[in-house]
Formats: sequence, structure tokens, C-alpha cells
Amino acid sequence: MKKYFFALCLVFAGLANAVAQTTEKPASVKISGEATAPFELKYPEAGLLPHTTVIRKDRDGKDHRYGGIIVSDLLLKAGVTLGKDLKGENLTKYVMVEASDGYQVIFALAELDKEFTDRAIILADEMDGKPLPAGDGPFRIIVQDEKKPARCVKQVTGIRILFAR
Amino acid sequence: MRDRKKSNVRVVPAILCLAVCAAGFVDGTRPPAPYRLDYPPGFGNRINIPANNPTTQAGVLVGRWLFYEKALSVNNRVSCGSCHVQEKAFSDGLAFSTGVGGTPVARNSMSLANLLWSRRFFWDGRAAGLEQQAVFPLTDPHEMGQSLAISARKISMMPRYALLFKQAYGDVRVTGERIVKAIAQFERTLISANSPYDRYLDGRYRPTAEEQKGLLLFNAAPEPTRAIRGANCARCHGGVKTYMELFHNNGLDSLPGDAGIEKLTGLPGDRGRFKAPTLRNIALTAPYMHDGRFNTLDEVLDHYSEHVKQSPSLSPVFRDASNEPAGRNLALRPEEKKQVIAFLHMLTDSTFTTDPRFSDPRTIPRKPKAAK
Ligand code: HEC
Ligand code: HEC
Repeated sequence: MKKYFFALCLVFAGLANAVAQTTEKPASVKISGEATAPFELKYPEAGLLPHTTVIRKDRDGKDHRYGGIIVSDLLLKAGVTLGKDLKGENLTKYVMVEASDGYQVIFALAELDKEFTDRAIILADEMDGKPLPAGDGPFRIIVQDEKKPARCVKQVTGIRILFAR
Repeated sequence: MRDRKKSNVRVVPAILCLAVCAAGFVDGTRPPAPYRLDYPPGFGNRINIPANNPTTQAGVLVGRWLFYEKALSVNNRVSCGSCHVQEKAFSDGLAFSTGVGGTPVARNSMSLANLLWSRRFFWDGRAAGLEQQAVFPLTDPHEMGQSLAISARKISMMPRYALLFKQAYGDVRVTGERIVKAIAQFERTLISANSPYDRYLDGRYRPTAEEQKGLLLFNAAPEPTRAIRGANCARCHGGVKTYMELFHNNGLDSLPGDAGIEKLTGLPGDRGRFKAPTLRNIALTAPYMHDGRFNTLDEVLDHYSEHVKQSPSLSPVFRDASNEPAGRNLALRPEEKKQVIAFLHMLTDSTFTTDPRFSDPRTIPRKPKAAK
């Protein structure tokens, strides 16, 4: 009897889970601030945008292949001043990356611009061909060749472009 | 010639006065003097004061009276100070406090210290400023249960407040907005920066051997392969303020009864996520966690060392963090737990809990105890 009850519980738990999963909100990254066309990048849709691969060591000391969208491409889509527009006062803009746990880090806007640097900074949504592990994803910033991982922000929820005052 | 010069001399101060009066109050009284917020440089200046509510001496004084004002509650029995008691670093010693309704509130009362540096308030960070935050307890039927309009009317009928409001705002008008602004001003002055830890950072206190070991453990991440032992607390409670405004699931439950931030965002990754609060004065603010489930710091250390519960939203910081090779949990030794607790006691700031500037102004100010 006990066994059956347990099995039933499992079935119900499974059902509840399935229901929860279909109604779950997808994770997303809001791109906002000094942008003429701010938008929200939803998790599954991000997979449709052009991807770039960056290889980087994680804390485990091993190289991993991260696939993701170049952040400056996202910013261009949002109408942020890059390329020929990144001059004058626009060089006092910065990019604040925010994670779901409240963690925040900053890049100068010029650090992301292809005309300033070849270093790729991507918003990764895959690692070694698979979605990122739960605690890291679904979106994570990966900074090519940066020695410390502190700006490889996990669980990114927002990218804000702001003027330094 | 001479006459003109004279009149010029008189015109200048008149213009100056006009400028000052325009910046201050229309009826010509002087604007309130700014309140000097004193804190060690190590705290940094990323403070949070809205432009429309500067901290002034007169404003802070109104806020202090209002913080302890029971007339702000529907039954005239509850003030902010009922659930935020100075001796307990502005917490209340209960798992769940009861407000005017006699029913317990949903979460554990929080210590109020160094709020000047916060931008997300409550266990789930749902309030973006102290002004906005104060509206919740004032109007919540389980806490003080009274609309701001009625509070303003009651306060405006109490003679004591007329002069206080006039000094802070230039006229005697009491409004809900002025009430919450004054309370917020007072809260910003609740700075705890004189614990033995602060004096240690300033080179004025020598930690005991046990405290010193606790400090190292608190800050270190465990690396058993390199024989580095650590408790990793600083990942979430680190820095001079022991507060980083991070929100995590610290493994209290595998199926949290209180979903925390998930209730606000609807994201399963936020399940059971709460603010990692400041650990300043932590020895005075038991019971611990958002539901007050732990009565002692020993229980807290046992939790982090052996009982962190797995779940999909558990903070990745706990993933594979162990002092044993391939260990499943942090696995601190009993003496190491004691050392971390000794360090936590270094965060007790007795000048903060006895500072007469923070006490109920209705009582005769006590003399602050000399710092030990
Ligand atoms: C009935 C008890 C009670 C009363 C009365 C009360 N509080 Fe609280 N306070 C709490 C509880 C419980 C929490 C945590 C609630 C939550 O997170 O949902 C809290 C949280 C706070 C916080 C957030 C601190 C942080 O670090 O995020 C502040 C600030 C605060 N209270 C100020 C006040 C003020 C100001 C008043 C009076 C206007 C007041 N409280 C009245 C119980 C109370
Ligand atoms: C991954 C982040 C994280 C780490 C690492 C961490 N904590 Fe916490 N801590 C939290 C969060 C989040 C809470 C609030 C949890 C809740 O109430 O649901 C908390 C609560 C506490 C509290 C209770 C605070 C209060 O006011 O009730 C204490 C004490 C505490 N932690 C001590 C420690 C110590 C000691 C360590 C190291 C052994 C540690 N923490 C490591 C995130 C963390």
C-alpha cells in the first residue's frame, strides 16, 4: 500500500512539474538604457541569432567552448552608439551587466566595440554544444582571454548602457 | 557718487538673501542644516540618497520621533521600533513579529544597519528605496495597518510635531510623503562602523588567535587539493560592510515553503532566493534567516557545514565547495565553526546599539557605553 502511495505521489509530482514547466516564464536579458531600440532577448529565441565560439578556461581549469552572440551585435540591434558613432561624449558610456542574484559588473562601451578591439565578449547560451548548466545560465557573459573570471557574469538578466556622470 | 556706492553695497546682500531664501523656504526661515553622515572611507561612497530627500538635521529628528511613534499604527500600540529594537541592532528577537493584527508577519524582522548603502530592501529586495519601503509596514494590515492619509491627520493633531515639521520642511503641514521621507532620513543615519572588526581594519584592535582564524576561514574558499581550508562566507557576505546586496538560495530547503524572489519574477531559478543580509551585529539578531528557523549561530554554522539542501535553484557557490577532496558538503571541523563564530562576534558594535542619537527621543538619553 505504502509503495503504491509513493508511486502515486511520484506521478503527481511529475504532473505538477510538467504543468509548471509549460507555464514557466522563459529567462531573458533586457537590453536598455542609452539605446534607441531597447529590447528583451528571450532564451529560446537567442538560439536563432548568429553565434560565435570563444574558448575559455572555467574554474575547473579546463578549456570549454562557449557559443553565444557577440554583445556588440546585440547592442547594435538595440541602437547603441557603436562603430562610427562611438566618439565624443559617447566614449563616456559604460555597460552595466546585471545578474539574477544582484551581481553587477561594468565594461566601458569601447571595450565591446569591434573597431577598438578584436577581443570577443559574447553572451553565451551554450557550453560545449549544450545549454549552460543551471547555475550558470541560461545566459552568461564570456570575456575572451580575460585572466580573472569575475566579469564572466553568470545568469545574466540585464545589460544597461549608461552615461558616466 | 558716494550715495550710489552705498546703495550698491546694500543691493548685494539683498540679492544674496533672495538666492538663499529661494533655495530654502518661502517664508524666509533658514533651510535645515545638512546632517553629517560619518563613516570610514573603506565603506565607499556608493550611497543611496534620492535627490528629493537630502538628509538634514531637522529631518532626521522628525524621522527619529516618527520611527518610535505608535500613533502611526491603527491601534496606537505599534511603531517601527516595536519590531526594530535598538539593543538588538534594530531586529526584534522573534521568528515572526506580530503587528497590529495580532497575527504574525510572514517573515523575520530584519536588522537595520548601514541601509545608506542599500538599494534593494526586504528579504526579497522588492522595495527600491527607503521612502518606498516605509510605506509597506505603515499600511500593511499585519504591521501598522493605517493609511498614510490617516497617519498624517493624526500626526498633524499632535502639538509636538508642529515645530519639528516646520524646522524640517519650512511649514507645519504633515503629509504621508513627508512622514516617509523623514523616517527614511533617520534610517540613513543608522550607521554601524565601530565594531572590533572596524577597529581591526583601522589598525586599532588586535584580534585573538581564534578570531584571526575565523576571519581567514570566513574569507577563504576551500581548496582541499591545495590544503586551503575555508568557509567561503565572504562570497556572499564579504567586504568591509559584510553586505554585497546579493540574492541567493542558501540551501535551507529543497522545496522552499516561501518561494522568495520567485514570487516577484516568476522564474524558477529564483525559487527560495533571498537577500544575503549584512552580518553586522549578527550575534544580537537571533533568530536567523528569513523565517527565523535557527536560534543560534551554532545552528547556522551546522547548516552551512553539513545541511545545505540540494535543489535546482541552489546557489552554484555551494556546488562542489568542500574542505574534503570530492566532499559533498563544506565539512568544517567543530573548532573551525567556533572560530568563524568568534569572528562573527567581532561584528558586534556596542556603540551602535547604545548610541543615544538612535534611541526613542521620548526616553531620557542614556550614556553610550564605552567601546570595549
Ligand atoms: C510588525 C513588525 C514590524 C514593524 C511594525 C515594522 N517592521 Fe520593518 N520589517 C519587519 C519585517 C518582518 C521585515 C522583513 C519583511 C520582508 O522582507 O518581507 C522588515 C524589514 C524592514 C526593512 C528592510 C531592511 C533591509 O535590509 O532590507 C526596513 C528598512 C524596515 N523594515 C523599516 C521599518 C520601518 C521604517 C518601520 C516603521 C514605519 C517598520 N520597519 C515597521 C517587521 C516590522
Ligand atoms: C551563496 C551565498 C551565501 C554564502 C556562501 C553564505 N551565505 Fe549566509 N546567507 C545567504 C543568504 C541568501 C541568507 C538569507 C537566507 C534566507 O533567509 O533564506 C543568508 C543568511 C545568513 C545568516 C542569517 C542572517 C540573518 O540576519 O538572519 C547568517 C548568520 C549567515 N548567513 C552566515 C553565513 C556564514 C557564517 C557563512 C559561511 C559559512 C555564510 N553565511 C555563507 C547567502 C550566503
